[in-house]
Amino acid sequence: MIISVNWLKKYTDIDLSIDELTTLIGSRLVEIEQVIDLGKKYEGVVIAKVVECKPLEGSDHLNITKIDDGGVVETIERDENGHVQVVCGAPNVREGLTVAWLPPGSTVPETYGKDPFVLSAKPLRGVVSNGMLASAKELDLWDDHTGIIVLEDSRKAGESFAKAYELDDYLLDIENKSLTHRPDTFGIVGFAREVAGIQGKPFKTPERLTLGGVKWLEKTGDLPTPKVTIDNPELSSRYQAVVLTNVDCKIALSPIETQTYLARVGVRPHSAVVDVTNYMMMITGQPLHAFDYDKLKAVNNGEIDIHVRGGHEGEKLVLLDGREIELSENDIVIANGETVVALAGAMGGRDTEIDETTTSVLLESASFNLYNLRNTQFRHGIFSEAITRFTKGQPAELTAPVLAGAVDLMHLAAGAEVASDVADTYPVKQEQPKVYAMAEHMNAALGTEFATADIVRTLTNVEFDVSVNDEGLITAVAPYWRADIHISEDLDEEVGRLNGFDTITPTLPARDFTPVSPDSFDQFRALVRQVLARAGANEVLTYSFVHGDLFKKAEQNVENAYRIVNSISPDLQYYRLSLTPNLLSLVHPNRKNGFNDFALFELNKTHNKVVGMDDSVPKEIDLLALVVTGTFEGAVYYQAKRLLDYLGTSLQLTFDYRPIGEDPGYDESAPFDYRRSAMVYAGETYIGIIGEYKAAVRKAFKLDGTVAGFELDPRALHAASLQAASSYTPLSRYPSTERDICFQVGAQTKYVELEKTVKEGIDTTSLAAEISALDIYQPESGDTKNITFRIKLTPYDKTLTGDEVTAVMNVLIDYVSSKLGATVV
Amino acid sequence: MSTPDTVRAELLARIQSSDQPHEVLRAPELRALADEIKTLPPEQRANAGRALNELKQALAVAIDERQAVLDDAALAPIDVTAPWDANSKRPDLLPTEYGSRHPISVELEHIIDIFTRMGFDAHESRQLDDDWNMFGALNFPEGHPARDGYDTFRTEEGFIPPAHTSTMQNRVLKDGKAKLEAGGQIASISYGRVFRNEDVDATHEHTFYQQEGVFVSKDATLGQMLGTLRAFFEEYYGQKLAIKTQPGYFPFVEPGLEFLIEKPASIGGKPGDWLEMLGCGMIHPNVLSAAGIDPTKYRGFAWGGGVERMIMLKYGIEDLRHFESGKLAFLRKFA
Repeated sequence: MIISVNWLKKYTDIDLSIDELTTLIGSRLVEIEQVIDLGKKYEGVVIAKVVECKPLEGSDHLNITKIDDGGVVETIERDENGHVQVVCGAPNVREGLTVAWLPPGSTVPETYGKDPFVLSAKPLRGVVSNGMLASAKELDLWDDHTGIIVLEDSRKAGESFAKAYELDDYLLDIENKSLTHRPDTFGIVGFAREVAGIQGKPFKTPERLTLGGVKWLEKTGDLPTPKVTIDNPELSSRYQAVVLTNVDCKIALSPIETQTYLARVGVRPHSAVVDVTNYMMMITGQPLHAFDYDKLKAVNNGEIDIHVRGGHEGEKLVLLDGREIELSENDIVIANGETVVALAGAMGGRDTEIDETTTSVLLESASFNLYNLRNTQFRHGIFSEAITRFTKGQPAELTAPVLAGAVDLMHLAAGAEVASDVADTYPVKQEQPKVYAMAEHMNAALGTEFATADIVRTLTNVEFDVSVNDEGLITAVAPYWRADIHISEDLDEEVGRLNGFDTITPTLPARDFTPVSPDSFDQFRALVRQVLARAGANEVLTYSFVHGDLFKKAEQNVENAYRIVNSISPDLQYYRLSLTPNLLSLVHPNRKNGFNDFALFELNKTHNKVVGMDDSVPKEIDLLALVVTGTFEGAVYYQAKRLLDYLGTSLQLTFDYRPIGEDPGYDESAPFDYRRSAMVYAGETYIGIIGEYKAAVRKAFKLDGTVAGFELDPRALHAASLQAASSYTPLSRYPSTERDICFQVGAQTKYVELEKTVKEGIDTTSLAAEISALDIYQPESGDTKNITFRIKLTPYDKTLTGDEVTAVMNVLIDYVSSKLGATVV
Repeated sequence: MSTPDTVRAELLARIQSSDQPHEVLRAPELRALADEIKTLPPEQRANAGRALNELKQALAVAIDERQAVLDDAALAPIDVTAPWDANSKRPDLLPTEYGSRHPISVELEHIIDIFTRMGFDAHESRQLDDDWNMFGALNFPEGHPARDGYDTFRTEEGFIPPAHTSTMQNRVLKDGKAKLEAGGQIASISYGRVFRNEDVDATHEHTFYQQEGVFVSKDATLGQMLGTLRAFFEEYYGQKLAIKTQPGYFPFVEPGLEFLIEKPASIGGKPGDWLEMLGCGMIHPNVLSAAGIDPTKYRGFAWGGGVERMIMLKYGIEDLRHFESGKLAFLRKFA
């Protein structure tokens, strides 16, 4: 929304500089997105009189004019009378006109701020033209380039154009969103009231716009009062209408100054009748609609029988802009008899539009349900100035003063006569609630020290009706144009804001010394991130929403995924079922960008219909997934396992990797090839799955065999880590001895089986030992494999002799041989 | 003369038994068929060509299927319990200098740490919620215009991917009610991922992160809110900060404000540069009531704001889309 500062000044005094004013508005009323210095745009434009006008020889349309600028423009070539020669091609130029002259050196306002065109004195067909005479379009007022703009004769030659038409103005581009609840501020009067309030000045609404000040122009005709029925009072709280005759719909609104006010806030002038409705809307926020009375009667056999109702299925309406729309029961329509003639609050119908031949008008002033209009706005894509205001909820009481004011202006501007009584259908009168406040409570909520008198003055400045009783109880009734004051907190806001929240001293709440416990799972996740980053992996965050194709690629069941129904992007169709597919999607693009060895991991939430609900909302599943790829020796599975073991060690956990007999069939496990994957356990707690991916999955993600990873339940991991005992053992005072030993076992024997047996063997000797694998060798052919362990024996009571060590090793060899049939190589 | 039909069965069988099924596309039979087409009268060539193409397509499908079987079979089971592969050696971790935590995670940890030290507990926000928590409990009536600003997604079931972390507010207030009534305070922040149904560009994302907080006590004031937020940002930026506010409209607070800080020198700020950091206000009595807290006895304040912006300002990140891009070129800058 654009607010003109000069327009505000017509309703309230502003004695601040523009910077002070905008700062104050920003801190106490609304955010200003931009301040436009309009005066700069019109700098140099001068009002002049055409004193002579002759056709230019050899041209079919150019005229040589002599203009009188009162001699104000310096350093310019003048004739003996002091007049300036300007060549003009406009068809309407003639002697005696008062015009806007752009002298040499000035910039064409239309080009200001874009690609500025600066005028000069230059010859046109051999005749020097000193600048130009400007059209409304060149002045960037409105889109009229049919001729030069003709100004009132009363304007003096040499006057500054900007001053004369009050275009030495600042325009404030207002961020509308934070005024959603303030319909009053969508009119200049309402905005000015606030500007007075934030300056601490009392505001006085023009008498005619107060409820008590409504004065109707005397009726001169004897047409019947329009018959109006609100079929559904939920759709419209009030509908007023009056018939005006003798209306001149060709005449333009005067004075031009008023037109420039409309133009500067973005409204193109049409005819006086339309301009008056726009003007009233701009100053009050209340839109009006003018129907051609005769056309309106024609659709219902010469009768006026207006109904305000919901649209019917199948009903259609051709709008002013020529679009035919299909109506829904959520649209509010105006019908005459059975025929729909307007989409209420949004746009009139083409068949009842006023045009140059219109002489009688039915003028509507009404209030409509903002929720329905919001619906209409989006369904039909109508974002006009009117509907923008209606959707803030203009109060029913406003329709009368605005209608009365519009009638007056139409009388003055277009000769309109009142031909009927005013129809007023107003089923439930709007009453403003009484709202109470106490200085003590308000100060307690805001952290302020307002006296009762401060509060009363602040509210009275913006025309609240305020009284105070002996106990200091303040009773306030908001003015009728406010719909946002219901509870005492609303008064807190009003008083705090108008006096400036920034004047409140920031303090801190008092608190005791009870420590706050950080969330244990949060801390756990922070640790996991640190550990995996230390292991060289990169944390990613990927979207929660995925394209349906991703499930196909990862062989997951789309039926289990929550589906988004209104996404504007086709990539966001479903909630993901696990994290691995997203990570797999990132491998190929990163490889293409030159990264070869890397691991990506994510800790995030997923959703799956299968897991059911948490109260009334879907249960959320935390997952931790990692994908590693690169050029490694041996199967890449072991690279993923190395990373996971490292994570386990950091959490004081030793994982158990259990082979999988068949595809488990879960969405989390779906991308994994069970023959090269394992279930991960911490003790007997299931943690997740680790492995390589199915050939088809790899192919779908454009990956080769060098990719593996895991997908874990971090909550289970967290729980296990909380129970993990420290793996610390005291250091011995006696030296340790290391022995390497190589066992040959059947090729099918699992490594872990042998390792476990070796441990058991050592345990029978009551010596402490650390066992680590050194080498795993499996010949190309043959059904055995050799596994070498390094065994570090640590005594706690004495130094071991060589014989003692040999004895221990023999016990171990015997034990392993008898248990697994292993031989020592 | 052979036709596509006569060679079809033979070629399909060859694919099924081949270890290199794509070789079948080079079979002499196919070349012969192609050569034959050239000898046909012109009016028959089109049909013959079409038949040959159909055959080739059928073979391509069969080859893909066969290749998938072969790829699958190529993966021999491995000993998943072993620390490394046979005839290989112990894998190394990746170099530590490759590794990185995501800047959003790091920043959230930092934010949570500061608020924890200030006395706030922290909860991660939900990523899928219902209308009640997203709007209803926060004083947004059905069809309220203020709902428009949130551009929410919806699921088939009518659940809502939350558009603000305030979706946790009703739960936090309900959870804290007992503590409050026992003479304590509710001091809690919620953080996490939120969603808006909008087009993505350098400054707009459909997925982003917010942090927000609530404080409720017997005597909370708007002045305390300003002080608390200033204290947070001063700790975050490690310097004294000037603050100011703008009126804002959010149905769940009254009064509602936008909170601004003067851009800190540490991120290139000059006096007079202001940054809008978050929205805030005194919790609306309807919101307290919705959580069963008596608004005549208790008052509170709440705030909420985006996280990415703080990170972008801190590091000079130019494009919001980097965060969820998964690009290593971006991620490793935070190693």
